[in-house]
Amino acid sequence: MKIRLPLILVLVTGIVGALPFIIPHGIAQSFDNEFRNSILRIIAAFSLVLGVGSIVRHHTYKIKWKRENWQYSWILLISLVITSIIGLFGGIEGTGALPTSVRGFSFDIQTIFVYMAIPLGATMFAMLSFFMASAAYRAFRARNFEATLLLIAAFIMMLGSVPLSSYIFPRLPGFAEWILTVPNTAAKRGMGFGIALGSLATSLKIILGIERGWLGGTK
Amino acid sequence: MKNSWEKLAKLDRRVIYFLLLLVVVVPIIFPFRLKPKAMPPVEKLFNHIDTIPDDKCLVISVDYTPDTEPELHPMAIALLRHAFAQRKKVGVLCISLLGLGLAQDALATVSEEFNSRAQTNADSIISGRDFVFWGWQTPPLVPILGMGENIAKVFPLDYYGNRTDTLPIMQKIKNYNDVAILVSIAGSAVPFWYITYAQTSFGVKIGAGSTAVQAADFYPYLNSGQVTGMMSGMKGGAEYEQLVEERLGVYGRRRATDAMSSQTAAHIWIMITIIIGNIGYFVMRRRKK
Amino acid sequence: MNVATNPWIWVSAILTLGIFSFLYKENPFYRVCEHLFVGISNGYSITFVWHRVLMPALIDPVAQGQRLWLIPIAIVGALYFTRFIPKVSWLVRIPIAIVMGYGAGASIPRAIDASIVQQVRATIITRSTFESVYNGIWAVVILVGVIATISYFFFSRERKGIFKPLSYTGIIFIMLGFGASFGYTVMARISLLIGRLTFLLRDWLGLIR
Repeated sequence: MKIRLPLILVLVTGIVGALPFIIPHGIAQSFDNEFRNSILRIIAAFSLVLGVGSIVRHHTYKIKWKRENWQYSWILLISLVITSIIGLFGGIEGTGALPTSVRGFSFDIQTIFVYMAIPLGATMFAMLSFFMASAAYRAFRARNFEATLLLIAAFIMMLGSVPLSSYIFPRLPGFAEWILTVPNTAAKRGMGFGIALGSLATSLKIILGIERGWLGGTK
Repeated sequence: MKNSWEKLAKLDRRVIYFLLLLVVVVPIIFPFRLKPKAMPPVEKLFNHIDTIPDDKCLVISVDYTPDTEPELHPMAIALLRHAFAQRKKVGVLCISLLGLGLAQDALATVSEEFNSRAQTNADSIISGRDFVFWGWQTPPLVPILGMGENIAKVFPLDYYGNRTDTLPIMQKIKNYNDVAILVSIAGSAVPFWYITYAQTSFGVKIGAGSTAVQAADFYPYLNSGQVTGMMSGMKGGAEYEQLVEERLGVYGRRRATDAMSSQTAAHIWIMITIIIGNIGYFVMRRRKK
Repeated sequence: MNVATNPWIWVSAILTLGIFSFLYKENPFYRVCEHLFVGISNGYSITFVWHRVLMPALIDPVAQGQRLWLIPIAIVGALYFTRFIPKVSWLVRIPIAIVMGYGAGASIPRAIDASIVQQVRATIITRSTFESVYNGIWAVVILVGVIATISYFFFSRERKGIFKPLSYTGIIFIMLGFGASFGYTVMARISLLIGRLTFLLRDWLGLIR
């Protein structure tokens, strides 16, 4: 039951997902639309429980057992609760029951997102530029012919993708574009076939119950 | 000499960080004006949007999150400027939940630009009449496939909480048949999902705005015609901004174009550091031999 | 210099500096910012899932007495909660199976078309490919490159005879492709840095217009 029921469900819903493309009949299409818009949407919405629940559980344990850096878990939990309260009761446009503006100072969900989440997320990735610069300086070596080829292509791309190059070497941007449209296309397409066949095989294995990793165990 | 190469090879990472910071900051404060030239994929996208007939609309799928905002946000803004300047109907949606705030920011910024110049109601850009912000739905297959049948069913409420089927613009946008092109701006594989699901099932044309990291992966699809046109990274955004200014005379803050002087300086700097690193490597290798 | 007066801009600037402080070394300021990001992002997600998915698609129609058959669907969705109840945690497999099965099923025929059929079609050379000489030449180069790249990843046969130069040609194409990706990756990372520094210098400190 614990294994068979999910495997039967994955097979049935797999067929439901594939059928409307193979049989483009009105009835199949309507059923597919209804299945997606009602059943799939509602079930998938609840999946947020998995993510949020795991985070809350992990950090509650961290606080409870005073694991390393447990103090920061409070920051996470408090910010999660406050943002949720503001969003749930203050509404998306700040039109909910909870006031989200005091004397012209607004703290609705969109304001919090724009002024807190965006700078935090964007800066985390901006830091990668420093790591990349350091790694390129230390590790990017023309050790053999293949590595030299990679280096040359990278230099052409770096120079060709900035406007200055068209003033100094007018043909360079075009050449950089050629690398992308010809050799790069060939290499990526060749690899793409492998990736596509691999993901197709995985999808098929999931539907047929051969791939069972998603069950999270056999008990 | 030997010592200096060894010292250079063991340079503290913080020195490299500081030098990079300097190389990027100085051109931000003292920019040198560079005019980006649009590459064929950007030009194709521009031309396709430029020729959208009155009975069709442009759909922008804001599928990026805060981590790629500096690179992709200028693309969304440039596309909206283009569409609003020519009074094309626009639909905006998000496949990524964290894209919602960014899409709203782009719409608010560009409509404010147009509305501050507008003299009549007809000149203004109004939500529900000139554009519709459908918002977000989960899982991605629901909007990607569902929009082929009935958009209002997929998004019963728009981002602002209005019933979508009552909006004037929605009387003309029912499903993908009314969409001239859907441009997915993403730092992930979302444009591929649109190609795989929406294009194969409904034949909708797909444009892409991609981070430079994954731009090279889209070229096989550009070559096959599955992607109609594309903007790659901040450079792509700058090229589109330039086209909108040059061909339509629409001006606004040029976030991507203004960044090109720093981008140029940083690229040259990274190339110099790689060259120095390689010279040091070869000098030391020869000595070891 | 025209420093921002909007308190929110100051909040953004302080958070930006907090994350950047990691470049010197890991520190409490960075950790606070890191945890704050996860907390806010999840709170934001909860808000939209509630207001824009569950309310219009489930709660509103059921509260009005319509589409009552959605209640059992909601119960199936709620089985995600069982993940945290050890005795019945296997029940979480039911909603996962439905969502994953549909996704896998929907992808199979469409991915065959989009990633294989259309891509093969674009690689095949026909007479019309040579309508423009350059296009024709590049199409031949792409065809050779695709075959060579595939042969490089074909590990079921020893690299001998024609297979050896072919797979080596594959490496050349792959290196050019990876080089292009690397060059573009540099551009991407630098763009993100420019974005944040422009914010600090322009929006916060008002050093530039």
